[in-house]
Amino acid sequence: MPKRKVAALEKVEADLASLQYRIRRDPKSYAQEFYDQWLAYDAQRQIFMASPTTASNDDVKKFHDLVDLVAHVADLYPELTAAYPDHLKELLIRHHAVLDRELREKVVGSLVLIRRKDVIDSTSLLTTLFPVLISTPSKSLRSLLYAKIISDLRESNSKTTNHRLNRTIQTVLHNLVTSDRTSTKGMWATRITRELWRRQIWTDAKPCDVMKEACLSDNEKVVVGGVRFFLGGDKEREQMEDDSSDDEVDIKKVKHQIEINKKSKKRQKAVERALEKVKKQERKKKAPHPLNFSALHLINDPQGFAEKLFQKHLQNTKNRFALESKLAILQLVTRLVGLHKLTVLSLYSWFARYLTPKQASVTSFLASLAQGTHDLVPPDAIEPLIVKIANEFVSEASASEVAAAGINAIREVAIRQPLCMNETLLQDLVQYQKSKDKGVVMAAKGLQSLYREVYPELLQRKYRGKEATMGLRSGETKQRKFGEQEAGGIEGIELLEKYKDEQKAKKLAEKEEGGDKADDSDDDGFNSDEWEVGSDTSMSSGGWINVSDDEDDEPATKRAKTDSEAPDLVGAEKLDVSEATSLSKLATTSILTPADLLKLQELRMEANVDKALGGASKRKKELIQRHIDEGVTADDIELPATLGKKTTKEERRALAADGKPGREEHKSTQAIRKSKKEAEGKSTTNKEKARKKNFLMTLGKARQKNKRSLTETRRALKAHVAKAKSGGRRANGVSAN
Amino acid sequence: MGSSNKKKKEKKKDFQKAKLKVGKAKAKAANFTDTSFKSKSIVVNQQTVADEDLDATEQFKQNLSLAVNSKSDNQRRDALAYLTNQISAKPPNNPVGTSGVLTKVLPLVSDSSAAVRTRLLALFRAMPPSEVQPNVEKILMYVRGAMAHLAKDIRNEAVNVLEWLVEVAGDEVVSCPGGWLKTLNSFSSMLGWNPSVGVSMSVKGWTTSIQTTLIVSKRIPEAQARHIQVLAQFLAAGFRAEKPTSYTPQAYWDNIYRLPATPNPFGYLNLFGTPRDEDSEMYPDRASRMRVFDAKWRAAITSGMEGAKKEGGVVGRSAATLDKTLKGSLDEGLSVNICG
Repeated sequence: MPKRKVAALEKVEADLASLQYRIRRDPKSYAQEFYDQWLAYDAQRQIFMASPTTASNDDVKKFHDLVDLVAHVADLYPELTAAYPDHLKELLIRHHAVLDRELREKVVGSLVLIRRKDVIDSTSLLTTLFPVLISTPSKSLRSLLYAKIISDLRESNSKTTNHRLNRTIQTVLHNLVTSDRTSTKGMWATRITRELWRRQIWTDAKPCDVMKEACLSDNEKVVVGGVRFFLGGDKEREQMEDDSSDDEVDIKKVKHQIEINKKSKKRQKAVERALEKVKKQERKKKAPHPLNFSALHLINDPQGFAEKLFQKHLQNTKNRFALESKLAILQLVTRLVGLHKLTVLSLYSWFARYLTPKQASVTSFLASLAQGTHDLVPPDAIEPLIVKIANEFVSEASASEVAAAGINAIREVAIRQPLCMNETLLQDLVQYQKSKDKGVVMAAKGLQSLYREVYPELLQRKYRGKEATMGLRSGETKQRKFGEQEAGGIEGIELLEKYKDEQKAKKLAEKEEGGDKADDSDDDGFNSDEWEVGSDTSMSSGGWINVSDDEDDEPATKRAKTDSEAPDLVGAEKLDVSEATSLSKLATTSILTPADLLKLQELRMEANVDKALGGASKRKKELIQRHIDEGVTADDIELPATLGKKTTKEERRALAADGKPGREEHKSTQAIRKSKKEAEGKSTTNKEKARKKNFLMTLGKARQKNKRSLTETRRALKAHVAKAKSGGRRANGVSAN
Repeated sequence: MGSSNKKKKEKKKDFQKAKLKVGKAKAKAANFTDTSFKSKSIVVNQQTVADEDLDATEQFKQNLSLAVNSKSDNQRRDALAYLTNQISAKPPNNPVGTSGVLTKVLPLVSDSSAAVRTRLLALFRAMPPSEVQPNVEKILMYVRGAMAHLAKDIRNEAVNVLEWLVEVAGDEVVSCPGGWLKTLNSFSSMLGWNPSVGVSMSVKGWTTSIQTTLIVSKRIPEAQARHIQVLAQFLAAGFRAEKPTSYTPQAYWDNIYRLPATPNPFGYLNLFGTPRDEDSEMYPDRASRMRVFDAKWRAAITSGMEGAKKEGGVVGRSAATLDKTLKGSLDEGLSVNICG
């Protein structure tokens, strides 16, 4: 029923909105009125609860208004309205399916409102909304509840992390996923977890555990939700962070505008807001970067998880998931295997079935295979797969794209486990660089250059290249055996050592120059300032301050001189010895100060820059660029096949149109700009206004011009010439005099 | 110059023939109606009032629906008048039954039009008391809602309805769930004799403010006197001594084997409803009503009544009636205690 017209009498008195306003302004004086309305609310509630399904529209409307009023002032009369939250909860939980839509939304809104007024706590709000969210058949209510749940969780975590609340909700979600593995209800757990992960509200292992359970569910939707979280959740999080930092405020512009424009409270507020935002951003910039681990690293027992996931969804022949979902699951499994270096041997034999060119989206399978390979996988397990790929994909008869993809896939696998290749196969594959197709050539050359570095013996002599041959002869390139690991250390420590020696030598030279100028007081006293990164100026400025940098090494050297047994690390005479031993002993014999660590990082960066500029091989550069967390995608496999292909006209057109303003109809650039300006609510220029001016309005001025005297005309002409000389009215490019 | 040109063009336009172009759609005619929209439902603005070809039953139902749903005050009023006529006719014509009519028209207790409310009361009075009695709890809910309404007139009218209800079914009113304490709550808030609000908003400082709020300041003595009068009637109904039922030898067997004649005979057990608090509890007998009244309300109502007595005039007179009722209850209570 539509709203009935409100009579004049009612407008004056029976206006709940104005009553609410008055109550909020002076709660003590209006206690009586509120009590009346509380009674009215109670009566309406009884009427409604007696038969929620058959309540008349009028009653529902009245109840709706009263619920609204009480919610807005509930915090002012806590004793009187103590039962109110329970009323709402009961109403929502028991009758959400039959409630009128508006009333339902009002009840949800009121609950959120009294939560914001701290009448109830977040836990009780969320535990009320959550069961309704997963059980209601109404789409609109679901989306409303979802939004409210997320916003409440955000709000209660905004100042400090509310660990207790988070734990409660995470447990609820975990239970939701694990209690009934066949139902789609787990979807909500994955959606909520993913959203909060994206917003960096939940960053610990517990939400990952929820997602892990979701991945092991029986329901396809839930499984895919969980899997996609692990595959894309972290990237999403990074993007979100980038987006939020993008919208920067031009503070200069804002300040300038407030000077020019008319002053008003609204504008003043806008300026304040902009300033606040800038401050916040600066604070954010200075704040240490939150140490967020990727979800894949936070998984507890990755081996067990990967095995279960593989057995349940992939190996199981009764599984009827769509190919797309299966591919996503496979991607996750192989990613876990590659990242954590897990051993799931049955995975590789399972792959064999899918490695044929006719298999749908076979490039994804190939990428997954490459992703799931690491240096601890036994070569015996992969070799048959490599042979199979070579047989199925790479032949003279197969299409060039297929061959290119096959060779590239083999290369991707071989990057990770070079021992999987046998000599005849490699020699055969390398010879494809004589092919006519560019993609195949590039792929084969890629394989060749890889093996030149990692295992040149396998290549024929003529394909080895100069460097590899010389390396083999000198014994520099050594073949690494299965499972062999490179002895690790602190990356760049030798750079730091070298740097320190240089500084030491410099200082010695200076001392000799200055004679006995050196003050002993500085030598023996340990300067605590040099521990602090911020106070140390030697990092940013030039060399002469660096003299102080090795003062903290002085005690060590002094001690070393007295004690002949201890290795003299910084002594020049023993430098060649320390160089001979590949491992630097600096880290094991002295404590690195924060200043040292910073210098180390700086030196490392410098070295990397050198590498990137040249010297390092293509493959190494590629490996540097590609972060370990990023997996191999089907695009990587397909890449060489696209080389040397001409793009179609449509593709070129799309490329050209990318990033340009939309041009639905045929319009000039001017017109597009103009309409854009209009849409932004900007005004026209003075020039444009003058051009559009009504003809009749200009008539008077024109007539006046004709009636001018000679002197007046001359004056005007002169002024015109002078103006032109000074570059026009706006003095474009010419100085004013 | 410009405007005259414009006018000329405009005049010409009427007689120009529209040019047809190849590949372009024909221009729409001036009286073209766009029928491309779709609608899921059609709302009819007017309802038919034709009643020639309707039989009595249909007509009654139509009027019932009009009384509730019509937007026009007059139509609602007229429909209610029709219903009253039909019900009070001899023999009464009521195809939907009293409780059916009640369910529909009860929301009108807080209707915005005064004429409708008056008519509604007339309709109520026309209903047979025996059929009203089972519905007392439901009616009371609406009456209490109206008694707490923001509009003064509606509050006053609600008291009239309550008066009728006490007349027709006094015992049921005071003994149904929530009928005793909740109604007293509503009365006290209407009269401003309210202990619970004072407690909840206890003033911390040493000053006290006189009540200067909406209701109290705009209180009209006549209306207040009426409220007090109806309160007295209500209390009298609550304190009325129960007549001892005469002994019948059949009663014992009836109790065991006969179906109960009253609606909801085991209501006091509250087997299927939500648990009740003190306010919404049933107080089925006089003694229990007296007990909770003494504990919760006697002090507040007595002090309020004393104040009203001092005002004198209409209010004072009705307060005196109330005083009599209260005293009577005390005497009777004593007598009951002495007897028991």
